[in-house]
Amino acid sequence: MLYRTPTLASVVVYGTRWCAQSQLVRRYLERLGIPYRFVDLEEHPEAVAQLRWWTGGYASHPTVYVGGEVLVEPSLAELERSLMRRGLL
Amino acid sequence: MSQRFAELSERFMALEPQLPQGPEREALSVLFAMAQEAWRQQGQTSPSEGGLEWLRNLYKSAPKMEAAAVNPGLPVGSPAPDFSLPNAQGEHIRLSDFRGRPVVLVFYPLDWSPGCSQQLDLYQSELAEFERRGAQILGISVDSIYSHGAWAAVRRIAFPLLSDFHPKGEVARRYQVFRENDGFSERALYVVDGSGMIRYAHVSPYLHHVPPIEELFAALDALRR
Repeated sequence: MLYRTPTLASVVVYGTRWCAQSQLVRRYLERLGIPYRFVDLEEHPEAVAQLRWWTGGYASHPTVYVGGEVLVEPSLAELERSLMRRGLL
Repeated sequence: MSQRFAELSERFMALEPQLPQGPEREALSVLFAMAQEAWRQQGQTSPSEGGLEWLRNLYKSAPKMEAAAVNPGLPVGSPAPDFSLPNAQGEHIRLSDFRGRPVVLVFYPLDWSPGCSQQLDLYQSELAEFERRGAQILGISVDSIYSHGAWAAVRRIAFPLLSDFHPKGEVARRYQVFRENDGFSERALYVVDGSGMIRYAHVSPYLHHVPPIEELFAALDALRR
């Protein structure tokens, strides 16, 4: 791929601190050294409306935004594919 | 292709403030979600029914378990009751076998259930972090050794799962985390230090809550100071 999207701030994890899958996703990104922003849905309930807009009304956690791709409760394999598609991995 | 998709997504997302609430807006949202789901399927084969991957994901469609906690658990500073429980291989494991190193006791409700699958996946993916801190992690539930064996194989869990099966929940009861009306334990964590004292205790306020793993690491790190 010739064109690479900027990596900064292009990954956002919407989740909660007590959700195991959100933790799994965050730790995975941290191990890979991929910068991401974490939006705690309990601290930022306004973000839920945005998630609903992206998902046909299905706000669940974790939802991971990877440069234009919206992944609802992705497996690590799906997340990896998405990161590769976007040139972040 | 991926770049074009991303640009179109961004444009869609930016249109939100201009659209009034109503069925048209909802329809657009649903269409966008469909496009995202189709895109997500790119280059992946769906797991064949009955296969290992399908079995691994079965918990996602299983009944939820989200009740509030009903037990307080044992407080920090109390001695951890010793116990002997069989692992999936039928070998008896004693808590006191680990004297001299920290132990993380993970009481969880049931093998195969949604929250437990995710929680133990998380700990499995962090095994190196536990090992780096010299800590032994032990899972405990009321399931039989055979259920433990099958579940550990499917989820690739490499740390011991102990069977608090008979008398059912006896160890969970001694740690004050057995849910008498349900017949399984709370989701609870204890960090036991090398001398057998409880140094960290956490009973999840709701069964589907898993405390931040950093909290667990901090508790283990505090033992070394």
